[in-house]
Amino acid sequence: MTIGLTHYLILSAAMFACGVMCMMLKRNAVGVLVGIELLLNAANVNFVAFARYRTGAMDGQIAAVFVILLAAAEAAIAIAIFMNFYNNAATIDVDRGATLRG
Amino acid sequence: MSTFEQYLAIGVVIPLISFVMLAFFGHRIGKPAAGWVATVAIMLSCVLSGMVFFRWMGLPESERTELTAGAARYTWAYLGTLPITVGVKLDSLTVAMYFMVTFVAGFIHVFSIGYMAGHSDEVDGVSKYHRFFAYLSLFCFSMLGLVISSSLLFMFIFWELVGLCSYLLIGFYFDRKYASNAAMKAFITNRVGDFGFLCGLMLVVLYLGTFDLDQAAVTFELASVNASEAPMAHTSAFAQDWMARAGPEAASTASANATRAMALFTMPVGFLGFGFTLATLMGIGLFCGAIGKSAQVPLQVWLPDAMAGPTPVSALIHAATMVAAGVYLVARIYRLLTPSAQMFIAVIGCATLTIAALIAIVQTDIKKVLAYSTLSQLGYMIFGMGVGAWTAALFHLITHAFFKALMFLGSGQVIEGCHHEQDIRKMGGLRSKMPVTCWTFFIGVLAIAGFGLPGAHLGVGGYFSKDEILAVAYDRSHHWDVGEHMPEWMDPHAPAVPHERREGMRLEPHGAAPIRAGHGLVAGASASAEEGHGEDVHSASARLPILQNMPPLPRGMFWLALIIAYVTPFYMMRCWWLTFMGKPRDHHVHEHAHETPMMYVPLIVLAIGTFVSSYLWFRPLLAHVAPAATDAAMVVGLDGAAEAGHAAAAGEFINLHAAHEFLNPRVGWSWLAGFLVAWLIYRSGLATAQKLVKLPFVGTAHHVLENKLYFDHVYDFVLVRGCVGLAKLCRYVFDALVDGIVNVSAALTARFASWTGRQLDMPIQRGDLGLVDAVVNGVAEGMFRLGDGVRRPQSAGRIRVYVMVAAGSAAIVLLAVLFGPQIVDGISAWMKTTAEAKASVP
Amino acid sequence: MFEAVMFYLFGGVALVSAIGCVASSNIVRVACWLLGALGGVAGLYFLNFANLLGAIQLIVYAGGTLLLIIFGIMLTSKSPWITYNPKRWEVVTAVCVGAALFAGTAIATLSAGLKPGEAPMTANATVKQIGTELLTSYLVPFEAASVLLLAVLIGAAYLARAEKR
Repeated sequence: MTIGLTHYLILSAAMFACGVMCMMLKRNAVGVLVGIELLLNAANVNFVAFARYRTGAMDGQIAAVFVILLAAAEAAIAIAIFMNFYNNAATIDVDRGATLRG
Repeated sequence: MSTFEQYLAIGVVIPLISFVMLAFFGHRIGKPAAGWVATVAIMLSCVLSGMVFFRWMGLPESERTELTAGAARYTWAYLGTLPITVGVKLDSLTVAMYFMVTFVAGFIHVFSIGYMAGHSDEVDGVSKYHRFFAYLSLFCFSMLGLVISSSLLFMFIFWELVGLCSYLLIGFYFDRKYASNAAMKAFITNRVGDFGFLCGLMLVVLYLGTFDLDQAAVTFELASVNASEAPMAHTSAFAQDWMARAGPEAASTASANATRAMALFTMPVGFLGFGFTLATLMGIGLFCGAIGKSAQVPLQVWLPDAMAGPTPVSALIHAATMVAAGVYLVARIYRLLTPSAQMFIAVIGCATLTIAALIAIVQTDIKKVLAYSTLSQLGYMIFGMGVGAWTAALFHLITHAFFKALMFLGSGQVIEGCHHEQDIRKMGGLRSKMPVTCWTFFIGVLAIAGFGLPGAHLGVGGYFSKDEILAVAYDRSHHWDVGEHMPEWMDPHAPAVPHERREGMRLEPHGAAPIRAGHGLVAGASASAEEGHGEDVHSASARLPILQNMPPLPRGMFWLALIIAYVTPFYMMRCWWLTFMGKPRDHHVHEHAHETPMMYVPLIVLAIGTFVSSYLWFRPLLAHVAPAATDAAMVVGLDGAAEAGHAAAAGEFINLHAAHEFLNPRVGWSWLAGFLVAWLIYRSGLATAQKLVKLPFVGTAHHVLENKLYFDHVYDFVLVRGCVGLAKLCRYVFDALVDGIVNVSAALTARFASWTGRQLDMPIQRGDLGLVDAVVNGVAEGMFRLGDGVRRPQSAGRIRVYVMVAAGSAAIVLLAVLFGPQIVDGISAWMKTTAEAKASVP
Repeated sequence: MFEAVMFYLFGGVALVSAIGCVASSNIVRVACWLLGALGGVAGLYFLNFANLLGAIQLIVYAGGTLLLIIFGIMLTSKSPWITYNPKRWEVVTAVCVGAALFAGTAIATLSAGLKPGEAPMTANATVKQIGTELLTSYLVPFEAASVLLLAVLIGAAYLARAEKR
């Protein structure tokens, strides 16, 4: 049996759904961040699979590179914000972060 | 790369090196030494620029042109196919500006060492002395970079750097609330202008396809010629020269871009009933940058507040460099301005010079008087640019830089000597305590007031430069004989034309030339000739043909500028007299007053510079470059063209002689009048002024002016409160809507539950009431809880609920898109079958 | 055949780990499961001729981002919610939403009838190719990304600085 584009897309869909569920079910901010990472990875699988099967060019991989870069940047900032939040509120429960007063 | 370019480039880098040294090793270099590092750096730049300046002065014109045209351009990178070039823009304007900036900045550095010696430079116990000089160096680097940039992109980069430095320097005492607020105000206000600049830059790149100033100008001109369907031969000498030198490849690129850029002229942009072409919009966009940096109305509010910085910074920013950058930018993009854009510039300048001068009358803080006078003078420069007095505006920029730096440094000496007293009402009689400051300051006052003897070629500063601006404005407003050359939209007798069509449209068969672009000039003449105005051709050739398309300046603007020329000497004399003359009004201040050589030597140098710059070097240099910078554009400032040999047309075109004959008796003695009035009011202190303010009308006017015409109030009200109010409104609506729905539904459910309960109660009156009640109440309470639970996450902003809602709705939309057609099909099929079934039944 | 095996292996690892992320209640375990998911995805990259990406994934993600996350967990470990068992209604809603999303996407994919393009990739993308692309066609995003990283660097340092007490 041959593996085609569809296989990758289904897999990525499943990972995407997992990411969304992860974001919804974790009260720890880091857990939400993990959910986002899963989402981004699912998207990346799509990019790479499309690049291979459809365009046959670098474009998808380049997009994936940028996504990884953004994910790293986002994680850095997010963790910094969590630290700050933790310093101020002594918790990183996302449900407690409803006020914008820091 | 010629030696000139090398010298200039090195001169830019030296302050950068000094900045790096001070930024990283400044705390080790120590207190006075750090200042000297920066000073030596800028002085080295000054020496280099002096060498360039004087050698350049000695060159014959042909060699200068050769050097200008032969300046090297390197391609740094490609954006797609768009090359980003780096190079030194080498012409007389660069050389003059560069020399002025390094010279003035150099002496400001010297002064700063003296000034900072007596000032606290510690924040939280940490010395910021080296940081101050590091910022100064960075500032010089950015400003010099801006001056030599040959591409708009680099201009923009240095432009932003200058903005950053001004932010850092204004907020130097950032532990003081007002200083950090002022810094932020300056920065944000400038961003507003820079946004316009960026938009203009995007239009340039989009349509002209280049960042390079020269290439953009040539492309713009070619496009305007294309749009007017005139033969190519009608381009300006500048464009032809550029095309010849640039080589076939660049020339073909420019032509190709020009074809695309025709859209700039043919695409009308309607806005609020005004018709613009895209070209005009582009010019105005670029000019917006200048509105911010040069603090023109309506973004003028930051400059007076910027006085919170140390005084040498005020001198550097408000005299020599940053505010001049705006005028310099306009000078550089002059070829990209359409007549409508120029008119816009003139209007802005006129508004600024008037408003600022009026406010300056009532200011009592010595630095604020100077700040508003700077605003007013900048208004004159921008106004000059707008009316076409290119040379005069730049000349005014340069003389102004000298005398305004002189006055700011003088005020710094006064403030320093008087122990940080800035209120001129408390000064007075400082003449005896600080004679050098007093008389050098007086020279500055003379220069800004336009002191001179009409008839004799004797005067200083503004007497030459400001009067020249006024002369051009006079000619534009009074002797602008548009007559038969008037474009159709300007002719009051012509049938009404829709606004959108006013500008940049193709030639109508019988209309006069509506080429509104600044550069279609020759084309305009030929067009009108072709159209049968045969007998006018000769008179047209006597004038620069573009001018036929120029609207005359409204006379009111000229008169406003002229009247303000009377106000200027008044407020400057008031400031000087109250500070230095009369009797001391506050003995505490007076006793402490002193001056130090470190600070007054720069004053003397700048005072000499004021005289020299009024007579020597600068004016001819600027006049020399004017044709190349403007020739196709509009008016070559007066005799500027004559000196450069483009005389015939321009000389006849603007009647300099008549203008001066008209102006001499009317404005020549304005300095004397202003001085006299100021002297009469203030010779015996503040008593007369206080009496005057009690008069009914004067009092009101005074109050309005003291509040700066309520600009700050309006901005605060509209922008700050507006934003906050909008946010509150949103929150209110959101709360009311969401909570309302939930609460109402919860209440309804509860009512319903209790109603059912009562219904149930009726028949079972003797039954077990407790149980039924409990059930019913339980249901009601449960509903309440549910409603409450649904409400809370929405109004409290819980992330997880947001995710849930977003993802859930995405899923629903996805499924709806996927199965929507099938569902619709199914429903319609079902309806069909039922209808058929119904039909078949009977 | 080999490819199919590898796909199911890596895909399975990624998917199981992703589900593990969702299902674990302890945040430390979540992070560990994330490592598995990232590794699985890296394997899929290798499978798809994206060697460089796979390497980046392992180095930047598994090495960098995950480490950051673990640090984040450790530095905030006094906080409650290290373990959190979601309420039943939350789980039900989440599973419903997740299932609906998956179903929608999967059905869309299957019904789209995707065919391979005209010239599918047959060889590994070399680092040189990607580098050339990045510095020519994608120069502006590249520069923008560098500016973004600088901003992140400064922003993160500012946000996470030691509080002045």
